[in-house]
Amino acid sequence: MNQYTCPYCRQPSDPSNPTCPLCGAPVDIKTVVSDSGWVEQPAIRDMAKLQFGQSHVQITGTRVPTAEFTLAPQDWIYFSHHVLLWTEPQVRMQTMKLKGGWNRVMAGMPLYMMQAQGPGHISLSDNHAGEIVALPLHHGQSMWVKEHRFLGSTGNVGYDWDSNHIWFTTGSGDEKEWHYPMGQYGDTFTASGGPGLLLLHSPGNAFIRDLHHGQSLLVQPSSLLYKDISVRMHLHLEYPRNQGFSFWSGNLDYRQIWVRLHGPGRVAVTSVYQPAEECEPITDFSYNTTSHRW
Amino acid sequence: MTCGAPLNVHDKVSDSGWREAPKLRDMTEFRFSASTCQVEGELVPVAEINLSPQDGVYFEHHVMLWKDQTVPLSSLRTAGGMKRTLGGMPHIVTVANGPGRIAFSHNHPGELVVLPLHPGMELDVREHAFLLASHSIQYSFVRIKGLANVLHGGSGMWMDRFITAGYPGLLMLHGAGDVLERMLRPGEKILVEPGGFLYKDSSVQMQALQLPVKIGMMRHIYMAEMTGPGRVGIQSMYVHHHAGE
Repeated sequence: MNQYTCPYCRQPSDPSNPTCPLCGAPVDIKTVVSDSGWVEQPAIRDMAKLQFGQSHVQITGTRVPTAEFTLAPQDWIYFSHHVLLWTEPQVRMQTMKLKGGWNRVMAGMPLYMMQAQGPGHISLSDNHAGEIVALPLHHGQSMWVKEHRFLGSTGNVGYDWDSNHIWFTTGSGDEKEWHYPMGQYGDTFTASGGPGLLLLHSPGNAFIRDLHHGQSLLVQPSSLLYKDISVRMHLHLEYPRNQGFSFWSGNLDYRQIWVRLHGPGRVAVTSVYQPAEECEPITDFSYNTTSHRW
Repeated sequence: MTCGAPLNVHDKVSDSGWREAPKLRDMTEFRFSASTCQVEGELVPVAEINLSPQDGVYFEHHVMLWKDQTVPLSSLRTAGGMKRTLGGMPHIVTVANGPGRIAFSHNHPGELVVLPLHPGMELDVREHAFLLASHSIQYSFVRIKGLANVLHGGSGMWMDRFITAGYPGLLMLHGAGDVLERMLRPGEKILVEPGGFLYKDSSVQMQALQLPVKIGMMRHIYMAEMTGPGRVGIQSMYVHHHAGE
């Protein structure tokens, strides 16, 4: 009986391989954990293979790695069209229309996904330096993923998206502006009918951490990569103490924008993110927002 | 002439036949003609050339990182000046002659691709991917023919063409991200994201192909259809050019 569970994808796995056949994490290395409990997600080794259905995906490269699928006739994948690097002509492709098209367009998200059906080879890559993160999902398991981090998925993983409910506004009247520090929408993926495989692209390095029940953590909104759906999140505003810079009390608003995560569950962040630069005073914010003034 | 590839590692070839370009180790040094090239760094690598008095290299001026004060520079005008300028391509390349040291780098993460060219070879390279070439290599360009290519092919209107006549030469490219190469058999086809195309043997035919899928009301996906025989090189980081109205 197999007792080994991969510490990264949390699935029963085979320790006799050099890499986990489900998520590609090296088996023969010691887990690197920071003092605060962040586990460094090890990069998938060059040419490592991940099995799914009758097919597999091979990760090639290390700077901007590609995911090269060898699709069996009965297997299919879907992905956003802009990550398609190359394909063999015999791979059958079609579009997969998504609900809420107008809202997706307004939020800068792709209106369509592409489906690719085997047999044949097809390869996907993001165009940022970083790592591919593989998340094998068991039947019924769901995962929340930040928008624009999705690379590709097996066909039996359902895709849904919903508002993050994390926003704030600046200005008022005709000059009112809405801000979504972690994007307006988030993606939710759920495996059904069997295990599925979800591939993400992490710009930079990826770190994972388990939050206990009731434990909370502040992270940069744009750094969040994925989380268990049991992890709740909301906006948190932090105002450093003003030490003599009185001009900031005028039209500018010196603050830190966070997203507060509440356990239980697993969260992952990436080391590349875009900090919020807006300094105008906040006039309104999403429900459940908390704040702290030092 | 050598290319600096480590000899004590196996070729990394994916299941479908793409071979990774050999990762040049930091401070790798190799020779061409009577000169040497040393590759420094691994994230955004630098090619440092030690030119002997009888050698020279040419390049697009924006890739020059530093040089000895004594290395003379000259300019080489290319044909089709105004058309190339309108296409966003330089119509002048810069030439550096020995003796002395000069260094080149692009400004994004990637790898240097070292391509020693034997006499009688022709290689096509996507615009702006060319880092430098030794003076024995002839430089020209190919205007990609066909309206579909001009409108929808992400590699744009021009490809640089490098030809060796009677002498071997050294060509260096910069590939964004990771670089992969595949050898196509005669008649074998592969569809490549146009922005991912890096180089090909001139024997490989390239044309824009509209896929039978729509990604919007009037938007289609276009891929570069490459037909063998010959080798094709791609880069994994690119500006995608799928959509055409």
